[in-house]
Amino acid sequence: MICIIALVVFGILAIFSASHRPLAKEAFECVFLRLTLRKCRTGLDVRLKSQIVGSIMGKSPTTAKFVYKHFEIFSWALVILTVLSLAYTAYGGYNYYLYGNCYGPEDTGGFCIYNALNGESVTELQTQTEGELEKPTPDTDPSIGPVDAKVTIIEFGCYSCPYSRQAQPIVQKLLDKYQNKIRFVYRDFPIDDIHKMATLHSEAANCALEQNKFWEYHDKLFTTQEVCTGGEEDPLVHIMKIAKETGLDMTQFSECLKTRKYKEEVENDFQDGIKAGVHGTPTFFINGRTIIGPKPILAFEKIIDEELKK
Amino acid sequence: MNAEKIRKDFPVLAKGITYLDSACQSLRPISVIDKINEYYKEYPGCGGRSYHSISKKVDEEVTAARKIIQKFFNAKKQEEIIFTRNTTEGINLVANSLGLKEGDIVLSSDKEHNSNLIPWQMLAKNGIKHEFYTFGDIADFKSKLNKNVKLIATGQTSNMDGTTQPVQEIIKLAHENKSLVLLDGAQSAPHKPVDFRKLDVDFFACSGHKMMAPSGIGMLYGKYELLEKMNPFLTGGETVEDSTYETCKFLNPPEKFEAGLQHYAGIIGFGEAVRYLSKIGMETIMKHELELNRKITAALAGKISILGTDEADKRGSILSFNIGKMDPHSIAIMLDKSAKIMIRSGAHCVHSWFNKHNLSGSARASLYVYNNEADAEKFIKEIEKIKSLS
Repeated sequence: MICIIALVVFGILAIFSASHRPLAKEAFECVFLRLTLRKCRTGLDVRLKSQIVGSIMGKSPTTAKFVYKHFEIFSWALVILTVLSLAYTAYGGYNYYLYGNCYGPEDTGGFCIYNALNGESVTELQTQTEGELEKPTPDTDPSIGPVDAKVTIIEFGCYSCPYSRQAQPIVQKLLDKYQNKIRFVYRDFPIDDIHKMATLHSEAANCALEQNKFWEYHDKLFTTQEVCTGGEEDPLVHIMKIAKETGLDMTQFSECLKTRKYKEEVENDFQDGIKAGVHGTPTFFINGRTIIGPKPILAFEKIIDEELKK
Repeated sequence: MNAEKIRKDFPVLAKGITYLDSACQSLRPISVIDKINEYYKEYPGCGGRSYHSISKKVDEEVTAARKIIQKFFNAKKQEEIIFTRNTTEGINLVANSLGLKEGDIVLSSDKEHNSNLIPWQMLAKNGIKHEFYTFGDIADFKSKLNKNVKLIATGQTSNMDGTTQPVQEIIKLAHENKSLVLLDGAQSAPHKPVDFRKLDVDFFACSGHKMMAPSGIGMLYGKYELLEKMNPFLTGGETVEDSTYETCKFLNPPEKFEAGLQHYAGIIGFGEAVRYLSKIGMETIMKHELELNRKITAALAGKISILGTDEADKRGSILSFNIGKMDPHSIAIMLDKSAKIMIRSGAHCVHSWFNKHNLSGSARASLYVYNNEADAEKFIKEIEKIKSLS
């Protein structure tokens, strides 16, 4: 059975090293003979066993004796582990192709995590997450695309989150590709505990919405995000500056921001996100199916295409 | 004999290895390595062709090597020493040059190395028969002799189990039968005194690589009057005195058998190796190896199956063995991996004997003058460990 492992190991090494090719060939011959219920005639199994036992014998004769006597069992265990490891490798490769990571759609890497315990007790958190998750709705939040589109993508994003910014061009590409077939909705999920004044940015975007310049302001918040989060500019100064650049009525905008007109709206979005199981940004719901983080466009396309076919 | 002083002459031993595969190929002392380097550094020219000083130096060194080898084996003339690549080539030379005819019989023992088996099998197409007697069994040998037996081609010492035949008696009986004798001396020449004139042997082939000389060099001894009558096996440059488009006139032995440019570094190194062995003395070497073999045999008797005989005195420097049904290669690999002990495993090119006895092979430890008590003890300890696995 050791020949199966040898075939895998020497087979991989043979790709890079000519000296391992005869060994890989020998291992293949041995495996073929064993699969056809014949004895391995190459002697490779004996040589491998001797090399392993010999190496152990130099350090611990007792262990060597144990390995020698139970070598077939060890071989089988290694074969099973090798097969499992190969299967996982293949699965990882498949995930990487589809989702850009080895873990699949549930990968938790690469997004801004909301710390639910921040300032709250464990009991409060449990209360928050108890019960069934609620499927998020577009609510009255800003959207692009027809209301009756077959596929609705709802993003819970944070203007101060670098991963939400990374997802922005992907969203744009999807909108360009699918045009009227999809509807994109942006909902606020500001994570203040890790991003300074994130809620203020969300409220500012809502203030831009009342002047019908939400998407221009939204895009500018993301494209200039580093200026703000990098500490080059005070967040409030930054918010005002890009409002001016967007061509907003600054008196109305300042008043809206000062009175925190959309505080409740932003809070509602956040709570809806919590109810839907959002624990970081960006989180996308494509007809209710979740993608967390700025995954490759392939991952989005796969779900959208499946939903469009339904 | 100061074994520790001798060990210092072999640079590879500094690596901490225990080399017990000298029956396959011996290690080389630094003096031989230096001598080979000397040829390539100081006088890397052709011998026997050019008249410049480097070429003359090569001739001098080759002649000196031939002379020292002649003395070492007590040959009558240095012209009786023909340089070959190895024992195999020497045997092939005799097989193809002796002029055996249809109906002639070549008699060999049942423990011949493939080098002393296949060349005679190849002659079967010419109607020459190859027959066998039991190795070392004089009565059986005598019973196989008849007027058609023209040549006895046999090994003096078996590479498989280290046992030695009473070749003096074999040669005497062969000559009484008017048969010639070719001895395969690959395993005897490196380990015991061999006197060609005392033995009255007709041909004797051996390899340099088993007696501290470089690989790719060997020697065939032949009585001059026999060599004179034989046609060369390989022909070409330096074998002839003159040639026309249709004819040639061969030189006298040994030149007529040494075709083409020779392995000068090998020949010179061979001479140096023989000088080194002579300095220690073949009797001393033989006794030293035997002492170590006795020690190993006494410690492992009953724990392993020894091929040939349990009596170490009859096996010289070789211990060929099996441990239960364990694969011999397995034993060799484990020794190497666990304690850097190098031995040989398999059929040792004596497949015919193993096939006849329905055995797959054996593990073989072979000693030489550079092995010491510590090597023997280490080997015993590791074999006991391997034995405990089964």
